[in-house]
Formats: sequence, structure tokens, C-alpha cells
Amino acid sequence: MSSTQANAPSVNRRLETFSYDDQIIRWFIIATVIWGAVAMLLGVTIAFQLADWRVNLGLPWTTFGRLRPLHTNAAIFAFCGNAIFAGIYYSHQRLLKARLFNDILSRVHFWGWQLIIVSAALTLPFGITTGKEYAELEWPIDIAITLIWVVFAVNFFGTIIRRRERHIYVAIWFYIATIITVAVLHIVNSMELPVSFLKSYSMYAGVQDALVQWWYGHNAVAFFLTTPFLGLMYYFVPKAANRPVYSYRLSIIHFWSLVFIYIWAGPHHLLYTTLPEWAQTLGMIFSVALWMPSWGGMINGLMTLRGVWHKVRTEPGLRFMATSLTFYGMSTFEGPLLSIKSVNAIAHFTDWIPGHVHSGTIGWNYMIISGILFYLVPKLWNTELYSKALANVQFWLATIGLVLYIISMWVAGVTQSLMWRAMDSDGHLVYPNFIETVVKIVPMYWVRAIGGTLVLISFLIMMYNLYKTAKKGKVGEAEVFEAYALDESSIEQNAETHRKLEGWPMIFAVLALLAILVGSAIEIVPSLLSNKYIVKMDAIKPYSPLELLGRDLYIREGCYLCHSQTVRPMTHEVLRYGKHSEAAEFVYDHPFQWGSKRTGPDLARVGGKYPDMWHYRHFFEPREVTAGSIMPRYTWLYDNKIDYYSLQKKMSVMLALGVPYSAEEIAAGVTNAQAQAATIAKGLVEGGVPAKVEDKEVIALIAYMQRIGADYSKVEAP
Amino acid sequence: MKQAVLSQFDLPWIPVTGLILFVTCFAAYTYWTYKKENKSTYDAASLIPLEEPSLASSSKGGN
Repeated sequence: MSSTQANAPSVNRRLETFSYDDQIIRWFIIATVIWGAVAMLLGVTIAFQLADWRVNLGLPWTTFGRLRPLHTNAAIFAFCGNAIFAGIYYSHQRLLKARLFNDILSRVHFWGWQLIIVSAALTLPFGITTGKEYAELEWPIDIAITLIWVVFAVNFFGTIIRRRERHIYVAIWFYIATIITVAVLHIVNSMELPVSFLKSYSMYAGVQDALVQWWYGHNAVAFFLTTPFLGLMYYFVPKAANRPVYSYRLSIIHFWSLVFIYIWAGPHHLLYTTLPEWAQTLGMIFSVALWMPSWGGMINGLMTLRGVWHKVRTEPGLRFMATSLTFYGMSTFEGPLLSIKSVNAIAHFTDWIPGHVHSGTIGWNYMIISGILFYLVPKLWNTELYSKALANVQFWLATIGLVLYIISMWVAGVTQSLMWRAMDSDGHLVYPNFIETVVKIVPMYWVRAIGGTLVLISFLIMMYNLYKTAKKGKVGEAEVFEAYALDESSIEQNAETHRKLEGWPMIFAVLALLAILVGSAIEIVPSLLSNKYIVKMDAIKPYSPLELLGRDLYIREGCYLCHSQTVRPMTHEVLRYGKHSEAAEFVYDHPFQWGSKRTGPDLARVGGKYPDMWHYRHFFEPREVTAGSIMPRYTWLYDNKIDYYSLQKKMSVMLALGVPYSAEEIAAGVTNAQAQAATIAKGLVEGGVPAKVEDKEVIALIAYMQRIGADYSKVEAP
Repeated sequence: MKQAVLSQFDLPWIPVTGLILFVTCFAAYTYWTYKKENKSTYDAASLIPLEEPSLASSSKGGN
């Protein structure tokens, strides 16, 4: 009997029997393992693509720009998502002494989520993307995600309502925060107007879009990769160690502080951009404050192992959990550090950031998932783990691979940053050619790819180990348990407010929602008040019809994953690229394309920098014009014809979003686009390019490239 | 640097409101959580994951 029930008289209470739905957990575990392998294989593939461009294979659907979103979506939503559902459904039933609310909902949840993942795999490699990092899936899939999330929420809260345990354990608080916050994030960031079934434009533009996107992007890490796993940690670490959590009271402080603070920290992704200074500083301060709850949770998890550290040596599950907590501590130390403006000035746009991200996703998420799977699979298949020796090999391969990954990215990131900003005594850039910095770090890309391969091998070993474990075990009939139904006698009299709250899940959920909405609302204020601080410039005009089509190609090919479009107000950036960016430049950018990484140079001032012929040759074979470039070839742009069919609809949608196209401009869109294409093609043909190039996609992309930053370049410096 | 940053805080009520809200909530839940009389209940709550319901009829496996 539970602790709280134990205090209540059991006379006159109804004894009920129930069983757990473990079959759905087995399904989610199998999906976790399969999608995990896919995600890591994709990760290793794109790591080698950065080390050697030929690994792009010359096919549209195998280039870095299209596979990278598939990797991140597979890792976050397929691998971690399925693991979260498996762990939550297992622990939720046991913590509440109740079967999941509805078996059919569980199955709809499972198959719906797998369908979403398959939809991602069938769209992203074909360039069907919104162009917003970690939210690339197009609007029909966004709607499907919302529906399946609602199914999950109904199943989850329905189980709470049917529970036989009055107190709602702290792990479930983290699950509640996850469910409501992910819903809010997803809905707000996915606001877009459809052009067709597979194409839409973000409702937000420029600075607003950037702010909403990184409020989402940062909190996707917070509430998809952190809070659910912390909840799982609070259940599975005590179970595996067979000890209660070190401090339950610390876990309460941990929960509320984390939920309240995390949501504010998004702007640290946009330091030194055109976001208002106060919003940047606020984001930085709350990011630094995150040290407190993050380390509180880490210490609570690790201290739970006090007295059983010897088991970490002998039990693979516990070893993975202990290591994951250590990496959680390291990455949550590094994160706030990177949010400090002076550190961010060095690290942002460099390879240090993917290094930091992977210390979290591999070190924290992969490691704790391994620990949970080593606990769950033997339990659910009624057997012992097949091989502890294989688990040991997996552990060391994963750890060594991860260390190689992190260190190589530190070295690459610091090298890049120092080379970008190096100036001689005359105030000139020491390395004015961006490619000099790229060539320098390619060896580090090889080290990263090798480290990633070791992690992939470790994962495949775990797959084999779990498969053999399940094979030697068996799934029999369900066990039937009994527990008292909840009634008035289980309500603790004269309890403190927070203690009562812990038994009122819906009010608790509303308060958790308020905690995240306070931070969100304040973060969104800059968007709402954008008209006050963005002074519109007459010189900034909407894109021409052909440029609009070219911009869509830029998004389709995932160019934003390697090139930024924002110049920070730093001397070395202004010297290298030109005038620093202003908010008014981006008012027609649906979606914004600032990017988050500079594997290649910033493109905010690329318009007019090179002749059309340079771009024409560059897209076909980058190494023809830039020796040492690691950019893939885009040869299909020379075969595919420009899609004029959807142009008028696209311009109409842009008009609906506030881009000032006139009815005449929309009506003449195709004619004007073809005229601009003919002009560009004429110049190229005069330069020796084969005739009949004017209807090829490369022309539209060149038109867009030549337009980026061109309007603002005409504006006199203040 | 600090003065330059502060001079651009054109919406100072926002961070101030946030700070007050956070400090107030933090103080409140820390007070409630660490009140002496709550210790035994929270210690008991921490045991929930380790408690197993009694088996009504035993048969191995899932469903």
C-alpha cells in the first residue's frame, strides 16, 4: 500500500484489481531502438559529408542541407520521442497504480506518432520544409502532431483521473510540464499560411519570426529533451538503485525553478542580432540562472546513488544513468556559459555549438535512454540482460566517441572564431578569405565523424544486446494487481497548500502552464511591440516574383543550415561582410533565414558582391571558384525547371501576411519573373553559358542571391 | 558597458516584473517545501516509486 494510503483507514474502502498495459511500452521500445539507429546513421552520414563533400553523393535527396533536418527530427522526435513515451507510460501506470486510460488511445498514439515520423522521412529529403530549424515539418504534419499530442494528453490525464495513489509523484509533474509546454510551443511556432498541401509560409517575419522560432527551438530542448527525461530520471534512478530519491524537497524546488526559468532563456540564441538589447540581456540573465535548477537536479540524481556506487560498476543500467547525469551537469554548465554575451560572441555560429548540443543529446539523452532500456527490456520480457560484457563495450565506445566529438568541436569552434576575428596592427583581417578558416578545421570534422561512428557502433551493439535479451525472454499473460480506490479518506486533512496541490493534478497543470506562460508572454512582447522599435525603411522592398521563387529554393536546399544571414555589430564581422544587420531589413522575410551556424560565410551582404556567372559556376561546382570548399554540388538546379505554377498563389499568401504586393504585381507575377529570368540568362549566355538556361531553377536562385542585402546596401549609414 | 545596456532598456518593467514574480514564487515554494512539519510526508512520497501494489493473481508477463 502507498505511503499516503497507509495513513488512511482501509476499512470501508473499495479494493480494486487492475493490470498494466505493457504491450504499448514494448512497441514504443522497439520504435525507440529502430529510429535511434536511423537517427545516428544519418548523423554519421552528414558528419562525413562535412569532412568530405563527395559523401553528398551528388543526389538532391542525399545532400547535407536535406539530410541534416532529417537527422535532427529523427533524433529528437523519433528516437527521444518514442523513448519518452515508453518511459512515461511505464512509470505513469506504476506511480498511479492504474492502467493507462484507454488502450485504443494508446495504440492511436503509437501508430500516429510513427506515421508522423514516416511523413518526415518522406518529405524532408525532398526539400519539403518550412525552413525553421527543428520545426521543418510542413503544415499537414504539424496538424497531425497536434492531434496525436492531444491523444497523448487525454490518455495521460485520463490515467491520472483513474489513479489509486493520491500523491502525484514528482516525475509526473515533469511529464505534465512537458505535455502542456510542448503543446504551446508547437502551436505558436507552427502558425503558418498554406500555399499548397506541401508548402506554407510562416505567419511571422524577420525579427518576430526569429524570436518565436528560438523561443520554440530553445524550449524544444528544454521541454522535449530535458523535462521529460528529468521525470524519467526521478523514477528510474531510484528504481534501478532501489533507493528513494536523495531529496524529494529539492526535487520540488528543482521542478518549479526549472519550469519557471527555462522558458525565458530563448533569446540567448539571438545575442548581437537585431533583437532589442533588453530582450537579449534578459535571455542571458535567465540562462545563467538556469545553473541553479539544472545542477540541483543533477546533484539530486547523483546523490540518489549514495551507498550504492558499487552497483554502478556492475549494473550497466545504473552506469549509463550515472554517466548521463554527469553529462547533463556538464552540458547545463556549458549552456549558461555560452549564453554570456562575451562568451557567445566567440562561440556563436561556430562548431562549438554542435559540440555542446551533442554533449546533451548523446551524453544525456542517449545515455539515460540506454540506462532506461537496460532496466525495462529485461523486466518487460521477463528475463535477464543478455550480456553485461556487450553493455560494457557499448558504454566505452559511446563515451570515447562522445569525447572525441566534443573535443574536436571545441577545437574547431575556437579555431574558427579566433581566425574570423584575427586582425593585424593595421586593422585588417588576417584571414579575409572565409575558406582559410574552413580548410583549417576539416581535420576536426574527420575526428568528429570518427567519434560519431563509434557512438553509432555502440548503439548497434545495444540493439543486438536488447534483441537477444528479448529473444531469450517471453511475454506471458498480464499480472493482476490490487489496490484501494481513491476516496475521501485518502485526502490528507490539514495539509499545507503545496501538499494539497500535489493531489490536484488539473490545478497543478494550470499553475505549471501559468509558470511557462509568464516567461513566454514577456519574451513575446518584443514581437507584439515590434512596430515601436523597427523603423521601416523605404529602401527595403518586397522580393521580386523570381526572387521569391529563388528564396523558396534556398529554403528547399537547406542553405540556412550552413550560412547565416545576419551580420553582428562587431568590427571583424563588419570588415568581413559589410554593414551590420538592422531589424528593418527583414520585415518581408517569411520565414527569417538568419541561420545558426557558419560552416560557410554569412550571406547577408552577398547581393551584388559577385557577378551572376560566379554564382552559376559556384552552384555547379563550388571548388571551381573557391578552392577547398566543402559545399555540395547542386547540379539538379541546372536541369529542374522553375515552378511558375504556384507563383501567384505564393504572392497572394505573402500579401495576406502583410507583404505589400499590389493586385497588378500579383497578376503580372509570372510575366515579370520570366522577364527577370531572361535578363539574367542573357548575361550568362553572353558569358558562354549554353542557351535555353532562362527557365532553369539556378536562375531563380541567382536572382535571390543577388537580392540579399542589396536594398539595405543602398541605405546611407547613420 | 553596463550603462550602455541599461540605457537601451526601453521596457524596464518587463525584467523587473519577471524578477519580482520569480523571487516571490521561489520564496513561497521554498518556504512551503522546507517547513519542518512537511518532512515526514515528503520522505514518504519519495518512496512511491519503490512501492509495488500487491499481486492479486500471479501469472508472468505482459498482455
